[in-house]
Amino acid sequence: MLAGYPMPETNRAMPYHEFYLDDFQPRDHYRPLWEHIRRAGQNLLAEKARDAHLALHTEGVTFTVYDDSDEGIERVWPFDLLPRIIPAREWDLLEAGLRQRIRALNLFLKDLYHGQRIIKDGVIPAELIYKGKDFQRQVLDVDPPHDIYTHISGVDLIRDLEGRYLVLEDNLRTPSGVSYMIENRIIERRILPEFFARYRVRRVEHYPDLLLKALRHLSPRGADAAEVVVLTPGIYNSAYFEHTFLAKEMGVELAEGRDLVVRNNVVHLKTTRGLKRVDVVYRRVDDEFLDPLCFRADSVLGVAGIMNAWRAGNVALVNAPGSGIADDKAVYAYVPEIIRYYLGETPILANVPTYQMTDPHDRDLVLSQLEGMVVKAVAESGGYGMLMGPASTPEQRRDFTRRIQENPRNYIAQPVVPLSRHVCYLDGELESRHLDLRPFIIYGEDIDVVPGGLTRVAMTKGSLVVNSSQGGGSKDTWVLAD
Amino acid sequence: MLSRIAESIYWMSRFLERTDNTARLLDINLNHLLEANDAGAEELQWAPLLHIVAGNEVYQRIFPDGTVTGARMIRYMVQEKGNSGSIYAALKGARENARVARDRISKEMWEALNEFWLQVDGHVTHRLSPERESAFFKHVRAEVARFHGLTVSTMLRGDAFSFYLLGTFLERADMTARILDVKYHRLLPDLDLVGSPLDYYQWGALLKSLSGFEAYRRHYHGGIRPLDVVDLVVFSRHFPRSLHFAVDRMTQAIQEIGTSQTDCAVCRTLERLSALLAAREAEEVVREGLHEFLTEFLDQLSTLHASLQNEYFEAHLGMEQCAT
Repeated sequence: MLAGYPMPETNRAMPYHEFYLDDFQPRDHYRPLWEHIRRAGQNLLAEKARDAHLALHTEGVTFTVYDDSDEGIERVWPFDLLPRIIPAREWDLLEAGLRQRIRALNLFLKDLYHGQRIIKDGVIPAELIYKGKDFQRQVLDVDPPHDIYTHISGVDLIRDLEGRYLVLEDNLRTPSGVSYMIENRIIERRILPEFFARYRVRRVEHYPDLLLKALRHLSPRGADAAEVVVLTPGIYNSAYFEHTFLAKEMGVELAEGRDLVVRNNVVHLKTTRGLKRVDVVYRRVDDEFLDPLCFRADSVLGVAGIMNAWRAGNVALVNAPGSGIADDKAVYAYVPEIIRYYLGETPILANVPTYQMTDPHDRDLVLSQLEGMVVKAVAESGGYGMLMGPASTPEQRRDFTRRIQENPRNYIAQPVVPLSRHVCYLDGELESRHLDLRPFIIYGEDIDVVPGGLTRVAMTKGSLVVNSSQGGGSKDTWVLAD
Repeated sequence: MLSRIAESIYWMSRFLERTDNTARLLDINLNHLLEANDAGAEELQWAPLLHIVAGNEVYQRIFPDGTVTGARMIRYMVQEKGNSGSIYAALKGARENARVARDRISKEMWEALNEFWLQVDGHVTHRLSPERESAFFKHVRAEVARFHGLTVSTMLRGDAFSFYLLGTFLERADMTARILDVKYHRLLPDLDLVGSPLDYYQWGALLKSLSGFEAYRRHYHGGIRPLDVVDLVVFSRHFPRSLHFAVDRMTQAIQEIGTSQTDCAVCRTLERLSALLAAREAEEVVREGLHEFLTEFLDQLSTLHASLQNEYFEAHLGMEQCAT
């Protein structure tokens, strides 16, 4: 479908730089920060960087990297001192684009699980949906409260050579990172209060409050009687820190699958005083592990019978089961069409050009130029199961060629978009590194986009992989009030 | 509260108390060696510690020849990952459980425990050198004390706090009873030497390991007498490391939590423990056999632990009715 899209030539142009206009002059909105750094000098920055690391270490702000051991390795959250700053006008555009996208994707999900008008109208091929791993037949004709499927989304944005924001991934399943967005802000304000004095930065720390309100809004017994829990896979999950953080900030129980039990289609919490009814489950467990009766029978992370309780309307599940099909990477290519179809609007945010491996023409084109491509498995996330063309070895490329030919529906390819760059304080020097942005969107009574997000940085020079599981770092993200 | 979280808080405090007790035992044993000139063979000094922590089996596995030396015991009780009572393993257990219950303990408590763990985790990679041993044990005790202080001053009172008390005092009572049992046995042949310098050092060391030396001095004026030591360590209702004090605190904690059981085994066990302590005096107990008395006490503690498991940590089993 993208035949004829010009392939980027390597080194044709420099990636967009967020901070510098050229090698020596900062962009206007970074000028106050830049002047401050120049005056403060290197020693002060070095000291502050140490303080920040120590604070994160002591507070146990960590994430877990999976390895061969059962437990994984717990690492301290990597944090860069210098904030990323987004001017108000730029943010307004992003916010409008994200709202539009989330509204359209929820209408799309409702349609897919009720009637499938979009397939009948020939906008999206039936095969693409039915072969998607995250299309859940068990969800057909279920009516989740208020027709909301993706209550929480974390959309990944990158910037092209001209600085235009593009959507890279929608992350509609169990996006993580919001706790780090808040921790970054807390650390930044504590370590560098003087930075804030020069800007009017919009707040992000009320996120848990917005979230709790959105969750209570879904309670089958009404918001006032809502018993809300966060469902975690457990302490060895990479985002366990975040699960605890959110439960604590919202003042609700953090439950594991074994803490919940379904009786008569009603979900209960096992407490020291017996069973207690649960109304809303913010689950950080993927669909396939959610209910061994409905999905993977060998799952010990889920709750047997919870899907029936959900179908009976006795409990709200957040995000709704089956939402993952809307961020399947093959469906992603159709999101601009989805927006036009349901809203009759022009998409505000563009996609990264995407090649479908099911299309023979696209496939041949991609396979002939694998070195300039990013290949992604359609139902994976977190940087797992992907091939970064420019950094790949011939064996890896041969391996992916074979995998694509064997199962084309499972892969998509995108030309390498050189992510924008920013300055980071690394080992005593200011150095440029690539980064992306993940803002968080809550769909409750209204759609709220928290002004900020998680800026992830590829800490290795030249690297384009920002996932923390692959050694990425992060920056505090400031959205300016004016 | 969530059963699993209640259990984690209970184990967090038990493991932390174990960390503290191990540091106390080792520190006092070391100091005693330094001071007592008739301390006897090295093995005689260190072997009782193995009995106290019921560690013979694991020790045999790690040191198949079975010889007990001071250096080995320090390694076994400080760093040995295979020994669940070692400072390393117990603290790791405390921290893992705190991590599970992180949303129910205060930020200050979590940070103190996490920081403590990070230090000890760093220590364990290199051997503890003899000149730093004592400072290390002192540090461990200070960190545990800091945690308890922060808990008392920052933790919300409620079920979670009560489970913290239950874990702390059950472990403390258990360890105190074991220490007394082993030490008393070891000291028994010396009963003729009441009032001798040896007695002073041996019983003095025991009191010091329980932070009770000064309290003892203030309260009893007849010198260091085994009967009076038993009176303080078992029967005193005012000494924070005595058995009676621990049973009182646990009884209060259970009253605070309340019970949803019609027939409360936890309450019954606590009543039995109180009865065991209430009607006796040190002299009577020592005459009838301190060892038998302490064995009965330790058995009741095991029953208490099992009942907590049944009635609180697995309260949902066999219950159809929904609590509100």
